[in-house]
This record gives sequence, C-alpha cells and structure tokens, in this order.
Amino acid sequence: MNLPSHITPPPRRRPASAPDRAPVYAIVGNPNCGKTTLFNALTGLRQKVGNYPGVTVEKKIGTTWSQHGRPIQIIDLPGAYSLAARSPDEAVLRDVLFGRREDTPQPDRIICVVDAANLERNLYLVHQILDLGRPVIIALNMMDMAATAGLKVDAAELEGELGIPVIACEAVHGRGLVELKLAMSRVELPLARHRWDVPGPVAPAVTDLQASLRDHDARSPLIARAEALLLLTDFDAVRVAGSRPLSSRTHQILDQWRQRWEAEGTDWSGLLIRSRYDAIGLLCRDVIVRTRETGPSRSDRIDAVLCHSVWGWAVFAVIMAALFFSIFSLAESPMNFIDEQVAGFGGWVKGQMAPGDLRDLLTDGVIGGVGGIVIFLPQILILFFFVGLLESTGYLARAAFIMDRPMSKVGLNGRSFIPLLGSYACAIPGIMATRTIENARDRLVTILVAPLMSCSARLPVYLLMIATLLPGDTMPAVTKAAIMLGMYALGTTGVFFFAWLFKRTLFKSAPQHMIMELPPYQPPRLKEILRHMFERGWLFLKNAGTIILGISIVLWFLTAYPKHPNPDATATEQIAQSFAGQAGHLLEPVIKPLGFDWRIGIGLITSFAAREVFVSSMGVIFGVESAKDDTTPLRDALRAAHWPGGAPLFTPLVCLVLMVFYVFAMQCMSTVAVVKRETNSWRWPLFQIAYMTGTAWLVCLVFYQVGRTLGY
Amino acid sequence: MPSFSSLKNLIPVCQLPAGASARICELTGDDSFCQRVREMGFGEAALVTKISGSSTSLCLVKGTRIALNHRAAMSIWVEPLPANAR
Repeated sequence: MNLPSHITPPPRRRPASAPDRAPVYAIVGNPNCGKTTLFNALTGLRQKVGNYPGVTVEKKIGTTWSQHGRPIQIIDLPGAYSLAARSPDEAVLRDVLFGRREDTPQPDRIICVVDAANLERNLYLVHQILDLGRPVIIALNMMDMAATAGLKVDAAELEGELGIPVIACEAVHGRGLVELKLAMSRVELPLARHRWDVPGPVAPAVTDLQASLRDHDARSPLIARAEALLLLTDFDAVRVAGSRPLSSRTHQILDQWRQRWEAEGTDWSGLLIRSRYDAIGLLCRDVIVRTRETGPSRSDRIDAVLCHSVWGWAVFAVIMAALFFSIFSLAESPMNFIDEQVAGFGGWVKGQMAPGDLRDLLTDGVIGGVGGIVIFLPQILILFFFVGLLESTGYLARAAFIMDRPMSKVGLNGRSFIPLLGSYACAIPGIMATRTIENARDRLVTILVAPLMSCSARLPVYLLMIATLLPGDTMPAVTKAAIMLGMYALGTTGVFFFAWLFKRTLFKSAPQHMIMELPPYQPPRLKEILRHMFERGWLFLKNAGTIILGISIVLWFLTAYPKHPNPDATATEQIAQSFAGQAGHLLEPVIKPLGFDWRIGIGLITSFAAREVFVSSMGVIFGVESAKDDTTPLRDALRAAHWPGGAPLFTPLVCLVLMVFYVFAMQCMSTVAVVKRETNSWRWPLFQIAYMTGTAWLVCLVFYQVGRTLGY
Repeated sequence: MPSFSSLKNLIPVCQLPAGASARICELTGDDSFCQRVREMGFGEAALVTKISGSSTSLCLVKGTRIALNHRAAMSIWVEPLPANAR
C-alpha cells in the first residue's frame, strides 16, 4: 500500500544529527477548534496539570506514544486567535512558542489544530506560526461540521500547497488520530513552503527589528523575523511573569518606526493583517469548495430562541435555577456522608491515641481543618459538572452574551459573568477563570468583587444563624429560605455596587469593546466533562487544602496555648485564656458596637482561615463537643448564651447582623493566597481584605444600631 | 464621527436590522480593537449578517457567530446590502 508522504516509515538508521530525546510537541489553535479534545484523545489520562509560575494560566503536559513505542511529550497551550496577545492566556502561548519563558523549553514541533468549517480564520494563527520556521503538522479538525455546512475541504490540496503534513480528523469521534500519530512519529518533518510578501511600507522596519532582535536579544534569524513581524501588531505587548523582556534597542527601533508611520498616517498593523489574509485567501482558493448552499443551521435555529430578548432570559433563568437547585440539594447527601466519615475518622484516631497535644493537633487541627474543606467538594464538583456541561454544549458563551447588558451597567462586560457564576461555589476557581478577560482593569475589578458572591463556605454559617434565629418548629421553611435568598441577593448586590464603584474611581476607563465568538451547539461530551470536573476538583483540593491544612495547624496552636493552669479546665475555659481568646478580648471593643462579644470575636478570628471554621469554633467555645452526655445542639447552646449582665447574646438581630458580616467580610485565606498569585502582588489582596471587612463592619454597625433603635 | 460620514448609507452594526446583511466598510475603535477584529476575519470588506440583538449584537461572519457589545457594534460601520444581493 502506498502511504502519503507524511506517514512514510522513518529510515532504519536515524541520522547522526537527530536528537537523542523524543521531540516535544506544542498543540495550538483558535478557541473552540477542538484543540483540548484532540489533546485528550492523544494523551488519554497521561496528563500533568499545573500552572505556569507567576500566573494562573494552566499548564497541561501529556504523553502519547510514537508508532515505535517511544514517548512523545505534548504541551497543550491556551487557545488564541493570534500571536499578538490580548490576555495572559494568549501571552503564555506566544512566549512559549518564541522561547521567551524560562520555565518551559521551546517546543521542537507544533501541531496546529484548525476548524475545517472556519478554515481561513483559523489559518491566520497558523500563518503566524509558520513564520517561526519550526516543523508544523496541521490537524484539520471538525471535518464533519464542515461537510454539514456544505463545505468540502481538501486536505491533500492544502498539504500540497504548504508541503507539510495536513491530517483530516474528527477528534470527537477519534477519526484521524492514527494518521496524526504516524505523522508525529516521523524522525524528520519538512518545513513549510511558506511564502508571503511583507507589505512594502513595513518591510524596512521588519529588517531593522530583525537585526536588532538577532544582535541584542540573541534570537535566531528565523525567530527574529517572526518576532519582528509580531512586534508590529503587538499593541499592548502583554507581558506575564516568567517571560523575558526585550532589549532597549529593540524597543527604541519599534518606537521610532511607529512614530514615523503615525506621522505619515500609515496603518501598518492593518497592512500586515490584510497581507496575511490575502496570502491565506490564495492558499485556500482550491482547498475549500462549497458543495451546496445551506439554510439556517441547527445552531442558528437554537440561537433564535436562546439569544432572543425575551425567551433567552426565560431559558437563562431556568438554567440558573436548575444549577442552584442542584448545588444545594443534590450535594446534601454526599456532604453529610463526608461529614460523618471525617467525624468518624477523627473519633477513631482519638480512640487510638493517648490524650495529649499530638492527638488534639491531629484530630482538631489536621482532620478537622482539612475535613472542613473536603466537605464542600460535592458542591464544587456539581458546579464544575454544570459549567462543563454548559461549556461543552456551547451555552456558556450565550449566557455571557445574555449577561452582557446587565454587566455593562456597572462597567464590566459579559466575559466577567462566568468567573462570577463560578464564585457562587467557591471564589478560588472563579478568580482563576478571570484569566480569559482581555482587559486588565476589568480582570482586576472582577477579581476584587468575586469573593462577595456568597460561596458555599458561607452556607454553614447562614444555616446555623437561621437555625438559632428561627427554631424549626416556630417558623415556616419558606421564611428560612427567604432569609437565605436575601443573603445571596445582598452579596450579588455588593458585587454590582463595588464593580460600579471601582470602575468609576480606582479603575476609571471608557467602556471596553467586547467581541466574543459563540461556538456552534454540540451534544455534551460526558467523558470530557467528567475529566474536567475531576481535574478542577483535584486542583481545588490541592490549592485550598494545603493552605487550610497549614492555617488549621496554626489556629489549633492559637486555641490550645498557653495551657490553662488548671489541668481539669473545660475546653471553654481553655479557649478563653488561649492566644485566640486573648485576641477575642482585644477585639471586643471594636465589635461590641455590632452586638458581638469576645466569644464571637474568637469565631471571627479563627474563621479568617475559612468561613465555615466559625461553626466549629462556636462548638468549642460554647462547650457543645465537651458535653459528653448532653445532646443539646449547638443552636440551643447559642440561644442560651448571655452577656455578663444577663442579656441574651444571640438575639435575632445579632444573628442577622452576623450573617450580613459574613456576606461582606473577606474571611478566606485561600482566596487571599490565590488573589496574591493572580495579581502578582500583596497590594490587591490587602486592599480586598480592607475594603471587604471595612464594608462588613460599617454595614453591620448601621444594621445593628438601627435595629436597636427600632427596638429589636 | 468617522471620516466617511459623507457616505450616507453607512450605519454601525448595532443599527443593522436583524436578518439583514452588510459589507464592513470601516472600523473606528482603538487600534487594539481594530486589530483583533481584523484578525478574527471581521475586517474591511467582510460580509456580515445580523442575527439578533440591539444592545449586544449577534452577527454571522464567514460562518462564525460573533457577539459584540454595544460599544464594539458602534465601532464597526457597514454598508447594508440590498435583499436580492444577499
């Protein structure tokens, strides 16, 4: 059988110059071109997920096997329309391909995944990548969708034109993977016959910049030319931590040319883009054949409803309601199960060890602390399942489209909706999702307001306070649900208010342009959704769990030391004179105007690690755990608590004020750590702590004092 | 105002009626926006069909559905095509 040129078996003896190690491939492509599906299909479960140091852009490396059984490493790079970066995601793609990152080796070969149904636009990025002079394989994905759209895309013709392997595939159905792996297994890959004429007015600038990049920035000649072309269209020059800066000489040449063109009125960037598209148009002339005219597609028909000004909102409301119902109802049983298992395990450890500090550290500090985070895993997984489902079907982009209008009222755009939605489960994945927001100011504002969304860690506090406020037998469930919804509404209002405030003060700027591709609707790919869900769940546990573990140990120390002089002292007496207790007493003058005493103060201090710690702290402080034969639940203990003068401590007003405090206060060390990493500075997390906790104090003060004046 | 204001039949995309097609004539946003729009194949001479929307517009360009917020849709000036030319 005659095989196409690109899958010709390699020679028996490898050339002496061939590197001994297997080549490293980078997989690149536009957003929504099926790049990640192809990466998953090639690597299976052999993936390592991490972050590029200094930024929260995900770094995915996987392994596949060549036809000779040798491992091939593949780096999955973020999706981008162009190498002229507009966001940290795109900047990482550019910097890895140009070898600018210290932490990632420059890939030896590149797989460009292109959507066959949108070939010309997808080839723009390929055209820029071919400038790099690296071996490239083109994976012509979504051939089935191109056929549905009435297009015949000739892979052999494109291969003939470019002189590099072009593999037709359908990653979703696993078609074309064998051919792709065979091409990847080749010892040597041809370089592209890549010809295009740089427009006359900009050609001298390319030559100057190329020379400077070669001489002052130590670039190879080919990379220098590609980078020179890129610099002319890289207006924002988004730099991310870990990428090497350019020399001052290169900057100087670039500035000189820009000033000259501006004076002459030359649109140098437009010229370069048009010139590339002209070359792509010529390339595709015989590659794409329209076989038939098609009417409105399935996606068009669905969009007519889902993006409709009335029906669109109705469907959006139903989907959001289903999402929240699932998070709070489906998660209940697994959360109870985890809670019981953690408590059971803690009890078992307690039974196996002799009483002492080590036992308390393990049971109260380590198991209690980490258990407090693990319990939220079901909600996080359900949220990620839903987000994955919406993303996989193509609806998530429509949700951002629908939400663009309300978001624009506060100066943000639809892109901020997805991170904020994620923050209802946990602010950490929400903040990590902001990396797709192109505008740096919008991104920062979204990061600053995301923790105001009522995350699942606030739930235990709300539930305890509602139980204390409204005993189960005296108030209908609907009142409790209304209070709970009120807290969520308050947090969401806070998000919109502070976003509006920040966009008019700290981050004042004109409203931003938003341009966003809406991918075609597709049936959900359950395998990918589940993989994504578990990957995210694991990252959540790793990021949050490790920090919580450390903080829990520190907090345990603060509540366990110094030891009470009386060895028979109760847990309540011990905590009262511990470091945390002393801090609670110190804090009391500040929180007394809110109706809180020093015991609540300890809860506020300990729950700075994570909000849900407040509940366990109250249990320790009010001696519920130590009351061996007493089955009185915590809420009854709280309702029985009094000020020294005899007045009840947890009045309905104080319970409400405490809930309001948790709506606004920045009580989450893990979020602080993630914001620090995302913004690469302590300035913004410290500002966030100050503005959120300051607001919480002020709102609670007004709430409590007005409530007292009204006689509550 | 764009430099081509004398050409009376040009309108921004946000004013294009749903279902109508047009040819993109000029981009008036900042350099960075114009560049991204052109890179996505939404540049001058491209054909665009408005699907829906007024404050946020949904358009079809070269087979791709693109969402534009009001500011972006105000920055893309198009020449509507007669119904028989679509």
